Amino acid sequence: MSRVATTWTIGVLVLLWVPIVLLAAFSFNEARFATTFTAFTLDWYVRLFEDRELRGILVNTLVVAGGSALLSTVLGTMAAMGLRGTFAGKRVAAGLVTLPVMIPDIVLAISLLVLFRAGGIPLSLGTALVAHTTFNLAYVAIVVSARAESLDPSLEAAAMDLGCTPTQAWFKVTLPALAPAIASGALLAFTLSFDDFVITYFTTGPGDGTLPVKIFSMVRHGISPKVHALATLILTGSVVLIVLARALAGTPKEVRT
Amino acid sequence: MNDRRWWLFPPIAWLLVFLALPVAVTASKAFSAAGVEALASPTTWRLVGVSTLVAAVTTAACLVAGYPVAWCISRMPERRRRWVLFLVVLPFWANLLVRTYALMTMLRPFSVLDTWFAAVFGLWHGWLPFMVLPLYNAIEKLPPRLAEAAADLGAGPAQVFFKVIVPATMPGIVAGCVLVFIPVLGAFATPEMLGGAQAFMAGSRIQLAFLSGRNPEAGAAMTLVLTAITLLLLWGYRRVHRSEGLL
Repeated sequence: MSRVATTWTIGVLVLLWVPIVLLAAFSFNEARFATTFTAFTLDWYVRLFEDRELRGILVNTLVVAGGSALLSTVLGTMAAMGLRGTFAGKRVAAGLVTLPVMIPDIVLAISLLVLFRAGGIPLSLGTALVAHTTFNLAYVAIVVSARAESLDPSLEAAAMDLGCTPTQAWFKVTLPALAPAIASGALLAFTLSFDDFVITYFTTGPGDGTLPVKIFSMVRHGISPKVHALATLILTGSVVLIVLARALAGTPKEVRT
Repeated sequence: MNDRRWWLFPPIAWLLVFLALPVAVTASKAFSAAGVEALASPTTWRLVGVSTLVAAVTTAACLVAGYPVAWCISRMPERRRRWVLFLVVLPFWANLLVRTYALMTMLRPFSVLDTWFAAVFGLWHGWLPFMVLPLYNAIEKLPPRLAEAAADLGAGPAQVFFKVIVPATMPGIVAGCVLVFIPVLGAFATPEMLGGAQAFMAGSRIQLAFLSGRNPEAGAAMTLVLTAITLLLLWGYRRVHRSEGLL
């Protein structure tokens, strides 16, 4: 039984990772249309960096990811703070806060698109930033709340007994205790925004694409090692960010999505 | 400590304006003349049916593939367990589009691209981690001697599994199924890239309705149907699964 399960697990892991490894390998392949590896080259990466348009798109991506990470970290932390403890209506409030994680991307994207159109707001990087903040807020709230719930509320009370105002107690006791979780949430938000395709695709202006949107349109023109290279870079970037975010959050007892 | 609830005002206000309001406006568009026409059209419901079927097949495939994986990980020594879990979860955080693109590259030589098979395979690949994590959390909580006890009492291996293990890990199974089913139901990029014209799902219909600009009301109607199914599932899920955390 356990041997079968082990073999099965190895098989599933191989299936999960083979395409990713192949993609990375072929981004260093010299031949353009080959299904076999001919010779090692960094040429595709060089071409990538020489692409002016791509640099503009990278800036767009970073602006949206940075802006929405900042905004959603503030809003998400506030949500986590407000959801501590038990109170009437907590289930409804928690349900609303986590809803952006649960609904399909396309529902959030289209609903916002409809709202922007109804309000006569032209699509731009700004509208994409608003959309990203909406889903990121939920992720930050979940990450910070996991930490906030385990925080001893008597710490804050003790600080106030010792003469702190509630504001001082929050900044001197609660915030430092939550800081790793907040930083982890911010990194997560940045990564999710950096990686998002569906929501950006529908809520950004025609000239304001981000990297995943660019990949989508490049794929329509056929697979090329240049896309391989771009995809590999994005992948490496997000993996580094995620490892960093996890290290900051510490190792929780229970694994969460 | 009622003043603590003031924290909730800004985020809730944001979500009301940028989540609740847009959904309400979309619903109102769906109930316009053109929207109602789309809601009444069999084409809409055929697509909803197709998407539901694809989501159900993908969910089942993830469950079958994911259960042994979650089981195996939960029986590993602590250090290795963390590494293998990390290997399972990491692709989930890696860009979905990039992963789908990687699958395109891998599947190309097998000439299965632009088929339903490729689309479902891509969806399975994309959402498997969503299944494994909740399963793992449920299996890990099982008392290690539970299976032994059932066997001592005379249950065969199949009976142990279906009568003891499966019911005991049901919360994880339900959570995993909900977490896979919902996003796959509204999937757009993966079936579009891997399944081509053959794998035309609700998401593609919505995209076409809005970006071709011809019939946004029909797109709003389809979006409303997806929203309704999602909310219904989440409502049912929250009724059976009461967790102390946010998720």
